[in-house]
Amino acid sequence: MKLRRSMLFVPGANTAMVCNAYVYKPDTVMFDLEDSVALAEKDSARLMVYHALKHFAYQDIETAVRVNPLDSPYGLLDLEAVVRAGTDIVRLPKTDTVADVLDMQAAIEKIEKKIGRTKKTQLLAAIESAEGVVNAVDIARCTDRLMGIALGAEDYVRDIRTQRTKEGNELTAARAQILLAARAAKIHAFDSVFSDVRDKDGFIAEVKKIKNLGFDGKSLVNPNQIYLLHNIYAPTQKEIEWAFEVIEAAEHAKKNGLGVVSIDGRMVDAPIIARAEFTLDLARTSGLIGEDDE
Amino acid sequence: MKIINSAHAGTLESSDVYIQINPLDKDTVEIELESSVKELYGEMIEELIKNTLKDMSVSSVHVKAQDKGAMDLVIKARLQAAILRACECDPVWEELS
Amino acid sequence: MESTIKFTQFESTNVRRVKKVKQFLAENNLDLSPDIEVFVVGKEGDKMIACGGLSGKVLKCIAVANERRGEGLILKVMTQLLNAAYNRNQKELFLFSTPKNIEFFEDCGFRLIEECEDEIILMENTKKLQKYQRKLASLKKDGTVIGTIVMNANPFTLGHRYLVEEASKRSDWLHLFVVREDASEFKFADRIELIKKGISDLKNVTIHEGSDYIISKATFPTYFIKDKGMVNELHAKLDLNVFRNQLAAYLGITHRFVGTEPYCKVTNNYNQNMKKILEEKNDKSAPINVVEIDRIEFDKQAISASRVRRLLKEKNYEELASIVPATTLEFLKANYEDYK
Repeated sequence: MKLRRSMLFVPGANTAMVCNAYVYKPDTVMFDLEDSVALAEKDSARLMVYHALKHFAYQDIETAVRVNPLDSPYGLLDLEAVVRAGTDIVRLPKTDTVADVLDMQAAIEKIEKKIGRTKKTQLLAAIESAEGVVNAVDIARCTDRLMGIALGAEDYVRDIRTQRTKEGNELTAARAQILLAARAAKIHAFDSVFSDVRDKDGFIAEVKKIKNLGFDGKSLVNPNQIYLLHNIYAPTQKEIEWAFEVIEAAEHAKKNGLGVVSIDGRMVDAPIIARAEFTLDLARTSGLIGEDDE
Repeated sequence: MKIINSAHAGTLESSDVYIQINPLDKDTVEIELESSVKELYGEMIEELIKNTLKDMSVSSVHVKAQDKGAMDLVIKARLQAAILRACECDPVWEELS
Repeated sequence: MESTIKFTQFESTNVRRVKKVKQFLAENNLDLSPDIEVFVVGKEGDKMIACGGLSGKVLKCIAVANERRGEGLILKVMTQLLNAAYNRNQKELFLFSTPKNIEFFEDCGFRLIEECEDEIILMENTKKLQKYQRKLASLKKDGTVIGTIVMNANPFTLGHRYLVEEASKRSDWLHLFVVREDASEFKFADRIELIKKGISDLKNVTIHEGSDYIISKATFPTYFIKDKGMVNELHAKLDLNVFRNQLAAYLGITHRFVGTEPYCKVTNNYNQNMKKILEEKNDKSAPINVVEIDRIEFDKQAISASRVRRLLKEKNYEELASIVPATTLEFLKANYEDYK
């Protein structure tokens, strides 16, 4: 499974960020054409993101674009631009129902057909309301193109009529629902942004919490957050040791034609092996293990 | 594409370019470029502007560009945005590569 | 997303917001200029951290909170101001600020025209001054005494006639500049026409249409806000410095003629500054002699444009005939029959 721990939000109208985001090597670069772009600048930002997506610097890194809703004057134009430019993922804002996803998919398919693009653009549904949360399971399962669902905390909290707090209890229900839905549908789950870029400790605490809850990753608003998040998501030494053991046991079983893999007399089945492989991948990416360790 | 209105796009911030487009009576492209890297890259930037205009079939226009060290992709994007604003038309993607 | 700084634009009719800008400017040791049409404000959350104003083609009242300097906020303000100006079809712009900001504004495409007393700078974002200087140079005449008058003539009276006549007598050549701004009762086109008619017999005078560089809203905005009782000396000095250092030499001006000014506070103050600034030695240009010519009187009153307007309202053509030349009277009768 592709690592998607860090999704760096890049406001599409901010030239410096659009040009430099790839340098920070987040797992995904998410260009935003929606809320962070003023109405008068939507057209200009769209063109900047269009050209950035086509630039060679962004060919080796996963790209996503948060487009405007289809029922706005900008949504369709956004899609035309970013699908043509070859974005890997389109992020739908404010996804409330399955229909929202399928409409977006249809619009994208139409464009792909028109331009003869064979690679399927993936979708990421941002859930930002009570209705969206309640429909999360259906949304998560409705199409193959959906690679993940994300929580948009700001709008969600407004929708359920409360305030955001440091502790984040107001997000408990949403986080749980979204995480469960994602897991049931076997897609990624992403947590919302932590906007106070000066509160390092607060950010770390939140990342630890959502990692524990099972989230694959988080949206970030500042490159400084990437490093912190990757560190927290890096496997511990203990986890790495265990992963090595599992892989060794699996290889041993394979070599000797054994039907079952076991460690210390206990069965180790496919999901555990997959998990171990993932852990080692992560460890490699985090620079925790080198070639000599293997 | 015929330029009927004036328009502008971009900002004065670092890495960006502030582009102003004005219609012209004569059938020619005039470029006024201010850039911190004018000596080294002035010609290249002007070339880029000319080509971008050509791709959009714009043969008569006055372009004023205040460059703050913008990458090619930014200059292109801002110029295209300004042109589209000046003609009030939708993008024709084949012309905007 | 990344930054919580938001920029907004609003017009001067929004009184509540303007008040907040005034406060912010005061905190930054700046006065609010009453002629601003559009404001640009940068806020972080509820706190104002930057602002700027547009008045016609002049950008001014640009400020960034002290603790937020160095973040490039001035560029953001300037972008917004340029956009606002642009949307109002003003592309050739001037800018007022303080000398410490010269580099920032050069970064935005502005060039310094003149600096005054280490307190104020005037800049422009075009090369118009150079063009204007070349134009002036082409109109230079030879002579030992090259005089100049800057005149509004709202409308042209016998008082004006007297001043021009005297100056013409005392000069080898006289350059007469007519203030262009249409901030007076009588439109520029009419004023200059009346001047032309009123001095058609004088052979050594060139009439120049006023420019942005001589008593204009760009160089001397408070001149046009005199109703509010604001006399900004610094602006007066700036205008005079521009005249002396940037323009006068191209025509070879040696003398500037003014009528004494008993009534208008702003003009009187301007004249006093004029003597000082034009006559003192400085590194940039040759001094210019200022010659004050006493106003002529009729019936023991100075002939003033306001007197003309009063008589016009009263339709007192008889008295009018004694204070304006025939050409002006003809014009007034024809076009201002129902003057109120």
